[in-house]
Amino acid sequence: MSEDAGRPGPSLPVIDLEAVHKRYSTGKLEVYALRGIDLRIEPGEFVSIMGPSGSGKTTLLEILGCLSRPTTGRYRFNGRNADAIDPDGLARLRGEEIGFIFQSFNLLPRLSTLENVELPLAYRGVPRRERKARARDSLAKVGLANRAKHLPTEISGGERQRVAIARALVNRPSLVLADEPTGNLDSRTGDEILSLLRDFHVEGNTVVVVTHNPKIGEQAERQVSIRDGQIERDEARG
Amino acid sequence: MLALDAAQQAVRLLWAHKLRSCLTMFGLVWGTAAVIALVSWGEGVRSMLERGFFKAGKNMGEVWAGRVSEEFTPAVDRRYLWFTIEDVEVLRRRARLPEAIGAESWEMLPATYRQRAVWVDVRGIDPEVMEIRGIPLAAGHGITRSDVDHRRRVVVLGDTARRRLLGAEGRLGSWIRLAGKPFKVVGLLEHVGTQLSRDRMLIDQHAWIPITTLQANWPKWWTDQFVVSKILYRMPSRAQLDETEAEVRAILAERLQVRSDDTEAIGIHSAVKMLRTIPLDQMQGLMFILATTTLVIGAVGVLNMMLDSVYERRQEIGVRLAVGARRRDIIAQFFLETFAISALGGLVGAALGVGACLALGALDAPEMIPVPVINTRIVVVALAVMSTVGLAAGVIPAWRAARVDPALTLRME
Repeated sequence: MSEDAGRPGPSLPVIDLEAVHKRYSTGKLEVYALRGIDLRIEPGEFVSIMGPSGSGKTTLLEILGCLSRPTTGRYRFNGRNADAIDPDGLARLRGEEIGFIFQSFNLLPRLSTLENVELPLAYRGVPRRERKARARDSLAKVGLANRAKHLPTEISGGERQRVAIARALVNRPSLVLADEPTGNLDSRTGDEILSLLRDFHVEGNTVVVVTHNPKIGEQAERQVSIRDGQIERDEARG
Repeated sequence: MLALDAAQQAVRLLWAHKLRSCLTMFGLVWGTAAVIALVSWGEGVRSMLERGFFKAGKNMGEVWAGRVSEEFTPAVDRRYLWFTIEDVEVLRRRARLPEAIGAESWEMLPATYRQRAVWVDVRGIDPEVMEIRGIPLAAGHGITRSDVDHRRRVVVLGDTARRRLLGAEGRLGSWIRLAGKPFKVVGLLEHVGTQLSRDRMLIDQHAWIPITTLQANWPKWWTDQFVVSKILYRMPSRAQLDETEAEVRAILAERLQVRSDDTEAIGIHSAVKMLRTIPLDQMQGLMFILATTTLVIGAVGVLNMMLDSVYERRQEIGVRLAVGARRRDIIAQFFLETFAISALGGLVGAALGVGACLALGALDAPEMIPVPVINTRIVVVALAVMSTVGLAAGVIPAWRAARVDPALTLRME
């Protein structure tokens, strides 16, 4: 990040959450999905966030991804106060610095795989020719160069998730957030997806995976467990 | 996102949802076409009636003399009344409002040409009547001032009278006889057709001669005065119908020494008044309401489709927001999509509506079938309403969907 380049000392954390609460109100009912989360993630870490369903891990991921704002608490993303950024600024931040991978892939069904991968570039205003080239590169990296013209409905689940990864990585984000990326896949395809994420991490990038699959959790260097909206355990692994 | 990409995607999405797009558009097409066709038809009815009523003379008033009403005199004393040429001259001098005043006298006379004989409605007229009635001439000239001054035996024939009397061989310059007296055909009137307002016979069946000639050859048996059967006048505008009538009535009542409110003594008839009694405005209002209802139903259909479409696509909106779309990108996308669909539907509907009107106009239909008159204003209004509703229907739900946290939109599954 250019603004940090000249600073001495340790680099800034990618993610810095302080006492984050998230409250949902549905009619008369008020539910706290997160109750006081403190979390720092340094650049280049591979972190898994584990927890049973309803523990608040998806909410946490949404906040990390600037898809949602904390009700109270503070979120600094790459040293910037995310709470003070306006919606358009957040959109830009999501498009340029964060890549999302979802359990259900979330590809747009009417667009070809190439066009799906192009989307983040298109919203950044990258010119068409450059966009196509970069999207092709990104598809090639996940081994799907030959699927560029296909619609998402014409390829397998594993391939769809690889397209989604190509889309998440096309802007070379500083953070990749994955929400149960293998949840809809068989174990062999799931392994392929995980190894793609590992490759990305090995290149020095930050990856956060939300899962309740312990097998994935084991792959991460750092495992954060949450329960009832609070961090239960935060341990580094071999 | 670049506008071109967005537009391209919009068209592709519409194409991908062909059925839905078509159904949505159907409401738009139907609504627009119906509004245009209905309002134009209403306009057509109005213009048909006006044409029919004004065929015998535009903005014309006709005055005749009758008998003094029983209301004002004992029954045994009811005088018979008639106008004379002096009355017309006085009226011409004193009346300020009428643009023109003419005198007409009539007789039913046997007319002969070679072996043919028919009864014709002979009208003795002056040049002012020519002007007031305004019937175009197919050939020759009308009754002139000089014809009247010299009591010439000249005749101008209506279209039907010409056909019946002269047949194929007769032409301008032929001599016919009216009750045995020779008259030269100096003019032929163009075909007038169905009149909604007439006295005795249709103009097509008239034979027009100078009023002085009629008076000299066939004086009324009951008087030696120069009798005028009917006074015609043209009011300056339709709005001045009542004032003009009142002025004419007052002057003539004084001349005939009757009360000016005695409508049996002096009768005044005008097609303008008849036209006013037909609730055309109400009819057109009704048409407009019907048409607008259709338009609103079409609009509600569009609204429903669009709401549905946006709701179904909340997931898509969420994904787009997650990969960096701003709210305005989302709104612009739906704006383009709905704009494309409303514009296309509106234009197709307008084309259909206008086309239907033109087709009906092109048909060689009988005169009394109204030909729609296309009203540009209603075309514009219909298109504007349709596009506004269509755009609102697309943009408002998209705006609402893009307003909430992207996380909420994404979770809708």
